[in-house]
Amino acid sequence: MKRSRNARLRAPLVVLGAGTVVSGAVAIGHTWADAGIAEVVAVVVSGALFLLTTSHSDIGDIYADREDERQHLVALRGRSVACVVMIVTAFACAVYAVAANKNYWQADVIGSLGGLSYFLTLLFDGARPAEAAPNGAGMMASSGPGHHPGDLGDPAQP
Amino acid sequence: MKNRVREERSLRELSQADLAAGLGVSRQTVIAIESGRYSPSLPLAFRIARFFAVPVDMMFDPEEEEAT
Repeated sequence: MKRSRNARLRAPLVVLGAGTVVSGAVAIGHTWADAGIAEVVAVVVSGALFLLTTSHSDIGDIYADREDERQHLVALRGRSVACVVMIVTAFACAVYAVAANKNYWQADVIGSLGGLSYFLTLLFDGARPAEAAPNGAGMMASSGPGHHPGDLGDPAQP
Repeated sequence: MKNRVREERSLRELSQADLAAGLGVSRQTVIAIESGRYSPSLPLAFRIARFFAVPVDMMFDPEEEEAT
């Protein structure tokens, strides 16, 4: 796995850029104070994402763009789940629009649920504690401080 | 698919991190392979076999899964 600082910065910078765009939209449509709050949220989320890329876990490796073949499959599964969730949510929104007889397109709900389902899939799909390392080297045995949910096994195990 | 990765690694007294570094994969992937949760691709399977200097058909046994 090759590590690159640029690769680790990519996802946080994308999130920061997207957050800044949203913040700009808030500044146009609302107030500068609201835009400031939106920008602070973007910076915090971006910083959290950068910290995540430093962890040696499935989700950390994927966000840092240093995933191996299995983690690549986990990422694909996450995108697949997110896509299904967004389609189902969009369908629910469309049904609501017809029932309420008004134009209704909850992009924030659809996008948020899609993003959240992707994140949760990466977090839990790659790490199944019950199936990991049956000789006791799994997450249950290594859940002390400094361990990430996707960080299974015991490094010192011979 | 049943495999002998854990046994071969233990014989050589290597840690999962050592093996992961040698194969160029994450430690989580080594754990997943050892526990049978993940069947590696052909290139990775050959890398594993070459790493341990063991024939690939001795390292992986697909008949275990087919029989069930």
